[in-house]
Amino acid sequence: MILRGKRVALPPDPVVHRRFEAHARTTPDAVAVRWADREVSYAELDVRANRFAHLLIARGHGRGARVGLCLDYSIDLLVAILGTLKAGAAYVPLDPAYPEARLRLLLGQVPDLAMIVASPATFAQVESATVEVVVFEELADYLDGLAGTAPDVPVTGDDVCYAVFTSGSTGTPKLTAVRHEGWFNLLNWLMLEFGLDSGSDNLVVSAFGFDLSQRSLMMPLFCGATQHLLASRNFDAAMAYRLLNRHGIRVVHCASSTLYLLVDWETARKGDALTRLDYVIFGGEALHVERLANWMRREGNTCTLLHQYGVAECTDVASSYDLAGYRAGEHDIAPVGRPAYNTDLHIVDEHLRGVAAGEYGEICIAGTSVGAGYLNGTGPESERFTTIEVDGEPRRVYRTGDRGHVDANGDLVIAGRMDAQVKVRGMRIDPTDIERALGRLPGVRQAAVAVGRTDSGDVELIAFLVPTGDELAEDDVRAGLLETLPRNMVPARFVNTARIPLSPHGKVDRPALIEEFRANFADSGTPA
Amino acid sequence: MIAERVLSIWCRELRRDDISVDDNFFALGGQSVIMAGIQGAFIDELDVEVPMDQLFLNPTVSSISAYIESMGATTS
Repeated sequence: MILRGKRVALPPDPVVHRRFEAHARTTPDAVAVRWADREVSYAELDVRANRFAHLLIARGHGRGARVGLCLDYSIDLLVAILGTLKAGAAYVPLDPAYPEARLRLLLGQVPDLAMIVASPATFAQVESATVEVVVFEELADYLDGLAGTAPDVPVTGDDVCYAVFTSGSTGTPKLTAVRHEGWFNLLNWLMLEFGLDSGSDNLVVSAFGFDLSQRSLMMPLFCGATQHLLASRNFDAAMAYRLLNRHGIRVVHCASSTLYLLVDWETARKGDALTRLDYVIFGGEALHVERLANWMRREGNTCTLLHQYGVAECTDVASSYDLAGYRAGEHDIAPVGRPAYNTDLHIVDEHLRGVAAGEYGEICIAGTSVGAGYLNGTGPESERFTTIEVDGEPRRVYRTGDRGHVDANGDLVIAGRMDAQVKVRGMRIDPTDIERALGRLPGVRQAAVAVGRTDSGDVELIAFLVPTGDELAEDDVRAGLLETLPRNMVPARFVNTARIPLSPHGKVDRPALIEEFRANFADSGTPA
Repeated sequence: MIAERVLSIWCRELRRDDISVDDNFFALGGQSVIMAGIQGAFIDELDVEVPMDQLFLNPTVSSISAYIESMGATTS
């Protein structure tokens, strides 16, 4: 079974920042970015980014280099992103909200890291003996002395533009690289297919480390529209909602869990800012349409909800579904729709042969969006970038590890994972990554993490602990984990147990753990 | 006292009744969605909008209560 995306030709050099530069020439005075009470025009942002590119090139960090960005949302962040791209380098987003120990673990996974750009607020978290760390604010005088014209760097569509961390299967996060051509194709598809233009002002509501944030950050600059950034390290619903009310924001990209939060916020306070948007583009985890149903039916709601599916390894988005087509009686699960431009979705069996129409199989992604692979080593995950035979011809694909099928309407429907990975609030998580962190805590002999469901249907992580001595106190274990893991990776529940059940293959038997958990805690609700 | 009202909001949103004023929100199992619920409750019930970053920087009932008092919030 193959879902084929529309073929749409890209320019000879599909390079994302060239599109921004074109807007800087044609609409130099248009507002590119608003943050706090400041704003910057396309022309000024372009000049500042050019200067930053010249700085990188002068230090030898030009084409092919990798630059870590550990900055909070700000105009400086967009200067750094665009400047890195203009230098021909790739940026690696480093979320400043992560604990220092996690940032250091991630930094250790970036081969040939050229430089880290920090702010006074983030410098201490990423200070390094081996890599140069610069504080953006301290560069101001030096940057002012550099040329404001674009550097002459021959970037091509095959060059890497950014690399983000995703979960692996061995407890080590993987650094997955995206190519300009793939990113250009994604942004071009969203712009043309959904009619985005210079009026499609955007608000970023997701954390910097996510792949969806890279799209959200660049989308308005690709269209000539205005980008709005929250002056907040953590997602602030009150602040976001106020901006939606006051400015002509038309588009929001977010994880499903953030959409629930915004819809609940609007419903509780009887607002209508969300209903007046053109698009909320969202996905990243199993959707509970019923949590949106009342809001969707509100009179005068003109907001189109685009439920999308994709993986970081293939430039973030592979398919899209207009949720207006969802019928509760007809669908069990909200579909994720049809492929992006120049993207094909193959549903295959365990021998990598296409399944019959309607049958379930593993989803493989082929086409322009397939990324440049993992930058940190090989490992079993690298084998997911492989070749399948289609009509007698070999075709490069990425095996997503996601299970799904194509329904009677021709829409893709996701039905879970082929492995133990799980998505929590939009973040793909490898349970072994958490188990490793748990194993390092005092008093833990062995640990296993499995996935349960709350009463409201949300995914939750449950940690099973075999203590070395006395029973472990939940609050202590959680506090210990918060030192080393992002908050999304910290389990909701902790259970002391005498032993961890193993499958016949000697692996942790996660279904048996959940079964045991249900049997013992069946009546206790979990805080959502 | 603002701290008593903050404590009761925390207990309700975290669905726990064993919280003391110096317990850490995240160690109690709190996460960002619950924090957003607390931010909303502060707006609706205490008539004060506390920035999310401040809620994260002041993860105990006592410290966030002190912050709210420093904002000059009404305790009605």
